[in-house]
Amino acid sequence: MSQRINPELKKELLKFGAKDWNDCYHCGNCTATCQLTEREILFPRKAIRQAQMGLTESLASNADPWLCYYCGDCSDTCPRDANPGEIMMTLRRYLTSVYDWTGFSGMLYKSAKAHIVVMLVLFLSVVAAFLIFGGPMITELTSDGGVRLNTFAPAEIIAGIDHIVLLTLSFFLLTNMINMYYKVVLKDKTVHIPWYLYFTEIGEALLNFGTQLRFSKCNKSRMYWFGHWFLMIGYVTMFVLIIFFLSWFQTDNINVWYHPQRLIGYIITAGFLFGTIFFMIGRIRKKKQIFKHSHHSDWIFVVLLFLVAFSGILIHIFRINGLPFATYYTYVAHLAFEIPMVVTFVAFSKWSHLAYRPLAIYFSNMKKKTRELQLKSKLSVSY
Amino acid sequence: MRTQETTGMFLYHPGNGHLDKLNFTELFAYSESHEDVAVVWDSKTFPLWDIEYLKSQIQKYKLSRIIIAGYDTGMVKPIFARVFSNLQLNVENILLEDFKEHGILESGNTELGKALLSCAIYNVALEDILPDEEKKVCTETLIIGAGIAGIQAALEIANANHKVHLIERTGTIGGHMAMFDKTFPTLDCAACILTPKMVEIGQHPSINLLTYSEVQSVTGTPGNFKVKVLQKARRVSLSKCIGCGSCAEKCPGKARSEFDVGTTFRKAIYIPFPQAVPNKYLIDAEACRYVQGKKCGVCVKNCPVPGCIDLDEKDSEIELCVGNIIIATGFKTFEATKLANYGYGSFPNVLTSLEFERLTNAAGPTEGKITFRTQNKKGDWIFSPQSDSPERVGIIHCVGSRDINHNQYCSRVCCMYSLKLAHLVKEKIPDAEVYEYYIDMRSFGKGYEAFYERIKSEGVHLLRGKPAEVRMDENNLIIRSEDIDGRRLLEQKVDMVILSVGLEPAAGSAEIAKLCGVTTDSDGWMDEANYVTSPVNTFAEGVLIAGLCQGPKDIPDTVAQASAAASEVLQHIVRTSMRKNIPELPLAEIRTRAKNLSLKMEDRK
Repeated sequence: MSQRINPELKKELLKFGAKDWNDCYHCGNCTATCQLTEREILFPRKAIRQAQMGLTESLASNADPWLCYYCGDCSDTCPRDANPGEIMMTLRRYLTSVYDWTGFSGMLYKSAKAHIVVMLVLFLSVVAAFLIFGGPMITELTSDGGVRLNTFAPAEIIAGIDHIVLLTLSFFLLTNMINMYYKVVLKDKTVHIPWYLYFTEIGEALLNFGTQLRFSKCNKSRMYWFGHWFLMIGYVTMFVLIIFFLSWFQTDNINVWYHPQRLIGYIITAGFLFGTIFFMIGRIRKKKQIFKHSHHSDWIFVVLLFLVAFSGILIHIFRINGLPFATYYTYVAHLAFEIPMVVTFVAFSKWSHLAYRPLAIYFSNMKKKTRELQLKSKLSVSY
Repeated sequence: MRTQETTGMFLYHPGNGHLDKLNFTELFAYSESHEDVAVVWDSKTFPLWDIEYLKSQIQKYKLSRIIIAGYDTGMVKPIFARVFSNLQLNVENILLEDFKEHGILESGNTELGKALLSCAIYNVALEDILPDEEKKVCTETLIIGAGIAGIQAALEIANANHKVHLIERTGTIGGHMAMFDKTFPTLDCAACILTPKMVEIGQHPSINLLTYSEVQSVTGTPGNFKVKVLQKARRVSLSKCIGCGSCAEKCPGKARSEFDVGTTFRKAIYIPFPQAVPNKYLIDAEACRYVQGKKCGVCVKNCPVPGCIDLDEKDSEIELCVGNIIIATGFKTFEATKLANYGYGSFPNVLTSLEFERLTNAAGPTEGKITFRTQNKKGDWIFSPQSDSPERVGIIHCVGSRDINHNQYCSRVCCMYSLKLAHLVKEKIPDAEVYEYYIDMRSFGKGYEAFYERIKSEGVHLLRGKPAEVRMDENNLIIRSEDIDGRRLLEQKVDMVILSVGLEPAAGSAEIAKLCGVTTDSDGWMDEANYVTSPVNTFAEGVLIAGLCQGPKDIPDTVAQASAAASEVLQHIVRTSMRKNIPELPLAEIRTRAKNLSLKMEDRK
C-alpha cells in the first residue's frame, strides 16, 4: 500500500507531548515486555515505527495505542530511555485529534493556553447564566432543616440543560466514533470483516468497558487499575444519574443516610476522590513511570475532576446543615467546574478514551478473528 | 625559511566553533608584531573569494611564502595554490599550521598557539627546538596484567633486549584468552595460539614474571617510577615445585575453579589450568584447611620435594624501579544476575557466554561435551559429561550492553563471539536448533561479515529483537521476544540459554589507573591521549595503556594495541630521555631557538 510520508509529523507529535522518541533503535524490547501484546498486535514498537517514519495514514488506521493502559513496564526497561509508554500516550492524544473532525481537539491538546481560555469562558458563562437566570435565593429551610436548592436551581431545568449539552456532545462524540470506525476498519483494505463478527465480538468490548480486565492483566500493582476503574465507574454512574435521574438525585428533602440516593452518592464521590487524589499525588511524586510525564490535559482533567467532586461534597454538607448561601454559591461553582470539564473533555480530549478504548478492543478483535479466518481459508485451499 | 623570503600569514577560522577557546586577537597581534612576517590577514575580514584581490595583495607585499594557520587549513590551501602557480611562485611554500596539534584546541592554550606560529614562521617543528631533559629514562618496563595484551607487549619489549617486569594478579598468565575455546573469525583454537607465547614469557631471560602479585603504589617521575609490588604468598616455592600434583591428590580443601568460571571444583592447592605459566602449584588461602586454622598439612606430607611447600609463608613486598608502565588490566564480564528478567542465577541452564566457552572447551569441565548443568550428589550445580545435551539453544545478544539502564556502550565483541558460539553448538550437536536474538548484527572487521554469512548458511536462526524475558515451564525455558523481521511475537521454547554478556573494566582497574595517574571515562575505561591519533598514550607521561582497559575490543585489536604500546616504550628507551613539557619554555626562548635552528638548517643546505 503506497502512502504519502509526512515529514512534519514529528513536529506535530512533539506538540502532543512526545519526548525523546527518536532515540528508539527498534530492538523490540517494549513489544516483548508488554503483557498485552499478541501474535497479531505488536505494540508499541509498530506504532513508534509508523510515527518515526511519518506514516500518517497507517497511524490513523492503527488502533493499537488504545489497547495500551500505560503500565510503564516498557519505559522502565527500554534500553534507550525512549519512553515507549509515553509515546503511546502521545499517540492517543494525537489519534483523538485525528478522529475529531472539528479540529477543536487538536487545539485543546496542542495549546495549554487555548484549553484554559476555553474553560475560563465556559466557567464565566455558567456563572453569568446563574446571575441572570438563577431562581430566588431563599433562606427559609425545609421542614427537616435542609436548603431549598430546587427553588434556586430547579432540577427539571438543570436536567433540561444537561440534556441539551448531552445531545450536542453525543453528536460530536458519535461522529468522531464513526470517523474512527471509518479510519480503522473501512480504510484498512487488508481485512474484510464478515458481518456476524460485529455481533460476536461486542461482548468482550463491553466487558472490558465495565471491568477493564485487560488493564488488570498488565500491571503487577493492582492499585493503579483499581484507582482507574473506581474513577471510571464513579463517573459513568454519576453521568447516568445526572442526565436521567437528576430530579431523584437532586432533592430538597434529606433522606436517611442508608437511603440508596445518599449511599450511591457517597460511593461515587469516594471513587472520584480516591481516583483523583491518587492520580494527583502520583503526578506530583513522579515515582512511577506512568506519572513521570504530565501533559497539561492530564493536570487540567484531574484537578477539575477533583474540584467537581469536592464542591459536590460541600453542597451536600451545606445543604443538609441548612446553610443556604454557602449551598447556592458552591452549587454555582460546582456547575461552573463541571460544564467546562464535560464540554472540553468528553468528546474532544482525555475523557473520550472512554469510548475509543472499547471500540479499539472491539475493532482489533474483529480484525484478529478475520485474519485467522483468512489464514484458515488460505490453508484449506493449499491442502 | 630562507632569509630572502617574505612570509605572509593567513589566520583561518572557519567559524564552526572549534577555535573558540583560542584568543584570536592575541594571535593576530603576535603574528603582526613578528619581525619576519610581512603581513597578517584574518579570514574574518579578508575577502578570500576575490582571487584578483588576493593576487594583487601578494604582489604588493612581494610574498613568496604563506602560512595558513587555524583549523581545517587544507580547505583553503587550493585557493592560495592557484594564485601562487598563477604568479609562478613555488606552491611548496604554502605551509599549513593546524591548531589541532599539541592539544592546543582542547586546552585553549593561546601561548602555545603563539609558539606554534613562531615555529611555523621559521619552518621548524616545535618538537625539534625543545631541549632534552637531563634525567635518563630507566630502561626497565613494568607491565600490569598478563593477558594477551600484557604478554604481547612484554614479548615485544623483551625481544628488543630490554628488561620487563610482568605483573599478574592471579596464579597464571594468559588472562581471558586462555579460557576461550576458539577465536573468531578464523576459529583458531585460542589455547593453541596463546600458549606458545605464554611459554615464551615463562622462559624469556629478559622477563621478570611476577604472578600472584599486585601493584601497591607508584611514585617517582616519568622515566623513573618507583613501584611497590605486593607478592601474595603462594605457599609453594616456585623454584622447587616440579608440578607433579601429588599434593593436590589428597588435599581436602575445595573451591570453585576461577579458570572454569565456577563451573567445576578445584582443590585448595591447585594449578589454575594444565598449561598455566608458571606451571607450579599454589595454595588458595581461603580454601586451605591449615591456613584457616584447622589441622591439616596433607600436602606437605605428600610433596616429594623437601621444603617446597611452606604453609606459613607470608606476603612479601618488593620495590621495582621502572622507566615506563604499560597498563593492560583487561576486563570482567557483565554481572548477568543484574538482569533478573533473563533468569540467570535462578534457572540452572541459563549460562553466561564465558561459562559456555569453558563448557565447550576440550579442556573444560566436560571435555568439550555440551551438556546441561545438573546437580551432583552433594547438591552443587556443575557441568558433568554424563548429563544430556541440549537440542535447542537460545543465544541472547547485548546482555548489559547498549542499554541505558546498564552499560550504554556496545561491547563490540559479543555479536561475533555469539556467532562463534552458535557455530560451536552446531559443530558439536549438528541437529541442534540455535536461535540468536540480536538488536543489530555488528560484524565489523576483516573476514567478519563472511563469518556471519557462513553462520547463516549453517542454519542458525537469526532473530532480530531483544528478548524481554526468559521464563521456565516444566521442561523448557521460554524466550519471549518480538521477531521483528517475522512481524510476530515469539515465545520460543529452548533447552539452554546463553547470555552474551558485555564487557566492563576489570575489578581494581580504577585503583590501578589512580595509582598511575591515568584518568578514566564515565564507564570506567581508561582515557587515551587521543582516541584517533594516539590510542596508547595517556595524559600521564610514561604510562601507556593496551588492550581492554582502554575500551572494548577484540583480540586482534588488543594485540595490535599492545604492540603499539611496546613501540612507544621502546621509543622512550632508545631516546633515553623524556620530552620536557612544551609550555614550560618562555615564548621568547622558543622564538630564538626556532630562528637559530632554521638558520642552522639553512647553513646545512
